[in-house]
Amino acid sequence: MNPLAGIGLRAPHLAEIARERPATGFFEIHAENYLAPSPALSAVERLRADYPLSLHAVGLSVGSTDGLDGAHLARVTALAKRLEPAWVSDHLSWSVLGGRYFNDLLPLPYTEEALEVVVCNVGRLQEALGRQVAIENPSCYLGFAHSTLSEPEFLSELVRRSGCGLLLDANNIVVTAHNLRLDPGDWLAGLPAASITEYHLAGHAVNDADGQPILIDDHGSKVSEGVWVLYAEVLKRFGPRPTLVEWDTDIPPLGMLLDEAARADRVIRAGGHDVARAA
Amino acid sequence: MSLALRDLQAAFAAHLAGAARADLLAVVTGDTIPAAARLAVYRHHVFDSLGTALAATFPTVQALVGADFFRRLARDFIALSPPAQPVLAEYGAGLPAFIAGYEPASGLPYLADIARLDWALNLAFHAPAGHRLAAADLSAIAIERLPSMSLALAAGAALLRSRYPLDRIWQASQPGAAGGTVDLNSGGADLLILRRPDDATFVSLAAGETAFIARLAEAKSLEVAAAAALQIDPLFDLSISFGRLLALDAFAALQ
Repeated sequence: MNPLAGIGLRAPHLAEIARERPATGFFEIHAENYLAPSPALSAVERLRADYPLSLHAVGLSVGSTDGLDGAHLARVTALAKRLEPAWVSDHLSWSVLGGRYFNDLLPLPYTEEALEVVVCNVGRLQEALGRQVAIENPSCYLGFAHSTLSEPEFLSELVRRSGCGLLLDANNIVVTAHNLRLDPGDWLAGLPAASITEYHLAGHAVNDADGQPILIDDHGSKVSEGVWVLYAEVLKRFGPRPTLVEWDTDIPPLGMLLDEAARADRVIRAGGHDVARAA
Repeated sequence: MSLALRDLQAAFAAHLAGAARADLLAVVTGDTIPAAARLAVYRHHVFDSLGTALAATFPTVQALVGADFFRRLARDFIALSPPAQPVLAEYGAGLPAFIAGYEPASGLPYLADIARLDWALNLAFHAPAGHRLAAADLSAIAIERLPSMSLALAAGAALLRSRYPLDRIWQASQPGAAGGTVDLNSGGADLLILRRPDDATFVSLAAGETAFIARLAEAKSLEVAAAAALQIDPLFDLSISFGRLLALDAFAALQ
C-alpha cells in the first residue's frame, strides 16, 4: 500500500531526494518558490514522474478586498498547467492590499461581507485553474469582535457557495483554539466531511505575549503530541486523507522529516486509534 | 463597533507599517493577552519573515555584516520598500542602492557591490536555461559574415564591474573559507555572472574581455566589440577569449 503521508520539498533536501528517491506519498511545493524557470523547478519536474505533487500557494490572498492579482494568478495557473499537481490549495487569509505584499497569512473577520469577498476570489481562482482548489484554515492570533460566524461555520459556508475543497490543518486548529480560547473538538463539529481533501501537520512554538503563552505556527519543530491527538480525532471523524508534514524553519535532516511522515502514516493506518502505539 | 473589510485591511496594513490604529484595536478581541499584543505578533512576523527572505537572497551581505546587523538593515529596507508581489526571490532589487546610502554601513564601502553580486547571482539562478551557443553552431556560419554579426548573452548572464576586489571578498565570505584578509586597495574586479545547469556562478574577466562583453551586451557587432577590447588591452586575443566564453556557455545565439 502506498503511503498517504507526504513531505514538503525544501531546497536543502533537493539533491538528496533526487539521489535517494525516498518512499513518500507525495511532495508538497510552495507555488511562489517555483514560478521562475530555475534549476529547482527542473528538479521538481524530474520528480514529477514518480510522485504526486501538492501545489500549495501562500500568496494568492483570497481574502483581499483588492481581488486577486491577475499577474500572479496567471503565473500560478501556468505552473499548475506545467506540473499537473494532484492538489492545489491556499489559505483562508489575506496578504495583499494596494499593491503591497505582507508575507503573512493575515486574519479575516468572519462576516457575511468577508464571506462574499472570499467566495468571489476563490471562484475566480477555480475558474482560472479549471479545477477545484482547497482552502486551508489559518493559525489565528486574534479574533474580531464583529465576526458573526465561527471559523468552521465560515469555512463550511465557503465550501457550500464556491464548491472549493477544505484543507484541514490540525496544527492550525490547535494553535487557533489555544490562542482564541476555543475547544478543538467543537471546532471540528459540523465541517463538511466530503469536501475535506487534505490534512496538514506541523510543529508550533510557544511564545510569551505579555506574560501569557501564545502558540505560534512556525513549522519549526516536530509535530506536538497535542496535535497528534487532534489528528487522531480528525481521522476518526472524517476518515483518511493525504497528509502533509510541514517543516519550513530550522529544517531538519531529511530522515527526521520522513520519520514524522511515517508516523502520520501509521496513525492513518490505525484509523486514529491507538495513537501511542503508532508513535 | 465594526469596520468595513476594506477599512479593516487598510488599518491592518498601517499597523504593520508601524502606525498605532485605535480603530483596529477597537475591533480586536483581547483577554489576558491584550489586543495590542495579539496584533504585534503579525507585525513581528512580517518583518521577521521578509528579513529571512532577504538573507536567503543576499547571503554574502549577511556573512559580511553578521546576522544582527543584517536584521536591522533588512528592517529599515523593508519599512521603506516592502514587496509588491508574493515571489520573495524577486524581492530585493533595491537593496544594493539602499545599502550604498545606508549610513550605518558606510564603513564597508564595498558592501553595496557585494549586494549587487548576490542579486545578480539570484537573477541568474532564476533565469531560464534557454539556448546556449555551442562551437558546433558556428560551423554553419560563413567565416566572412562573423565580424558583422552580434552575440546575444545567455539568459541570466550579467557583467558587474567594481572598484573593489569583489571576487576575493566573496570567496573569503563563503562558509568554510580559510579566512585571511583582503586588501581593499589591491584593485577592482570585473565579473561575469552566469547561470549553470544546477546553480549560478561568476568568473573574473580581464579588462579586454570586459570591454568585449560590454559592447556585445549593447548589441554591437563582433568587429566593434573586438576593436573596443583591443583598445583597452593591445594583447587581447579574440580567439582565446571567445573560446573561453563559449566554453562557459556565456552566449545564447549569434545573430
